[in-house]
Amino acid sequence: MKCGEILGFLGPNGAGKTTTIRCLLDLIRPQAGTVRVLGIDPRKDPVAVRSRVGYLPGELNLEGNLTVEGVLRYFNDLRGRRVEWGYVRQLASRLDLNLSIPIKNLSKGNKQKVGLVQALMARPELLLLDEPTSGLDPLMQQEVYRLLREAQANGATVFFSSHVISEVEALADRVAIIREGVIVEEVEPGSLTDLSLRRIRVRFREPVDVKPLVELDGVSLVARDGREVTVQVEGEVDRLIKALAAFPVSDIQTQHLSLEEVFLAYYRVGEKEER
Amino acid sequence: MLAEFKHTLRRLRGPVVGWALGVALYGLLMALMFPSIKQIENLEEFMSLYPEEMTAFFENLYAMATPMGYLDVYFFAYMHLVIGILAISGGAGLLAADEERGILDLVLAHPVSRTGLFWGRFLGLAVALALILAAGWLSWVLPAGSVGFELTPFEILLPFLPLFAVLLFFAALALLLSMLVPAARSAGMLTGAVLVGNFLLIGLSNINDDLEPLMKFTPLYYYQGGLAVEGLEGSWLGGLLLAALLLAAVAWLLFLHRDIRVGGERSWVLPRIGRRFRLRQRG
Repeated sequence: MKCGEILGFLGPNGAGKTTTIRCLLDLIRPQAGTVRVLGIDPRKDPVAVRSRVGYLPGELNLEGNLTVEGVLRYFNDLRGRRVEWGYVRQLASRLDLNLSIPIKNLSKGNKQKVGLVQALMARPELLLLDEPTSGLDPLMQQEVYRLLREAQANGATVFFSSHVISEVEALADRVAIIREGVIVEEVEPGSLTDLSLRRIRVRFREPVDVKPLVELDGVSLVARDGREVTVQVEGEVDRLIKALAAFPVSDIQTQHLSLEEVFLAYYRVGEKEER
Repeated sequence: MLAEFKHTLRRLRGPVVGWALGVALYGLLMALMFPSIKQIENLEEFMSLYPEEMTAFFENLYAMATPMGYLDVYFFAYMHLVIGILAISGGAGLLAADEERGILDLVLAHPVSRTGLFWGRFLGLAVALALILAAGWLSWVLPAGSVGFELTPFEILLPFLPLFAVLLFFAALALLLSMLVPAARSAGMLTGAVLVGNFLLIGLSNINDDLEPLMKFTPLYYYQGGLAVEGLEGSWLGGLLLAALLLAAVAWLLFLHRDIRVGGERSWVLPRIGRRFRLRQRG
């Protein structure tokens, strides 16, 4: 990773995103290979690594009996009380988080906000965030993106995992794609559009011959039911839309495929080509 | 380490207050009842009505009219079983319970070493147990003068020391087992079984002399109970404390060298050792 960049770590469930992050913090030990975080081997000096890192786990669990403030003060104690409490209040306010509520009474989204505040509050040099916007509503997701960009502007490096392509596109400077524990590709966020697959359902006013449509590059027929046709489009939809202009279309529905489905389609093709 | 120590005490605040109140109230009640037992003139004759096995099982029944015997029979003979519940559950859950709930993952992502976390928490548990015993001690010391309990505060303190040592031993055993068995509750149950089994065997060894040589290999053999009022066996006390520290040290080493789970219970360690061995052979 380059210092000061935001790296998106993209992969389907079980690809090894969380495992990688946990190795970086010496929570689990790799069976082979080496790890360096900010130039330090986390196995040799985990405390030095952790004092410069803010971490948000993918499965966030907190002590239910403490209040939000109690949990954050405990984490501040573990950091040697280095945290400026005014900044904690500012973060909580921006994320619309009430500090006096017991953790056990918080919704999943609000717990995620606690996780984000504790990761950011010490202004760490490196942020390791596992699915940072999980459980947050779209408006709050935007606020998190702003907070992370501000952290970057202040010199922090951000490493975040996600399985949401649009999130990685919106936030990352660079994207690493992981599959079965191996980085299979490093790409620019813009090129993720090429990776994205859409399923488009078109209803025509009258029966039509769809051959010109499915012969378009990157378009394949998924299903046909009377006057309704479902096609899968790889990359941009521009060609299909222009081709459809010549047809009597009554309705169009677009559906983005999940990352798992994209990976399944994308890498299955890759594997066949390799063979 | 200090942060974890303070946090452990904070978390144990509720149990400590509850247990301390319970132990103190019980101690106070028993202390206030001492004059009525002391006044029984033909206690030995009364005791002889009990089956011989029973008086042998509870060793000091005949000495019940003396402060030392009374303390032993009504408090120290089974207080290690009672407070042992807290010591064992505390030890078994000290790290494993947080790990099972997925809390440890985030705690250890902060600048705290595993060593600091481990010993900070262990020390916190030890202090929590000591605070409960201090409340128990006070419950005997405060009414001592008014009920004719002819023991000094220091003499009353003496049997609390082996009690603390034995509680720490079982807390450390539970902690060690929590590093080996799949779940905190399994570690607690196993340690509890060892404690209760040892208690019964010690009692039975008073009836059956053949058992006595075996008892030397069990921790409760070195627990003096109320007899410590007459003089503390320093080597027994030191041995129990040393054994507790040794168990805790082994648990610490295991904790240093293992992966932290995100949550849930894990599988048995022994099959994993076998798997590692097979992998090494293949490698």
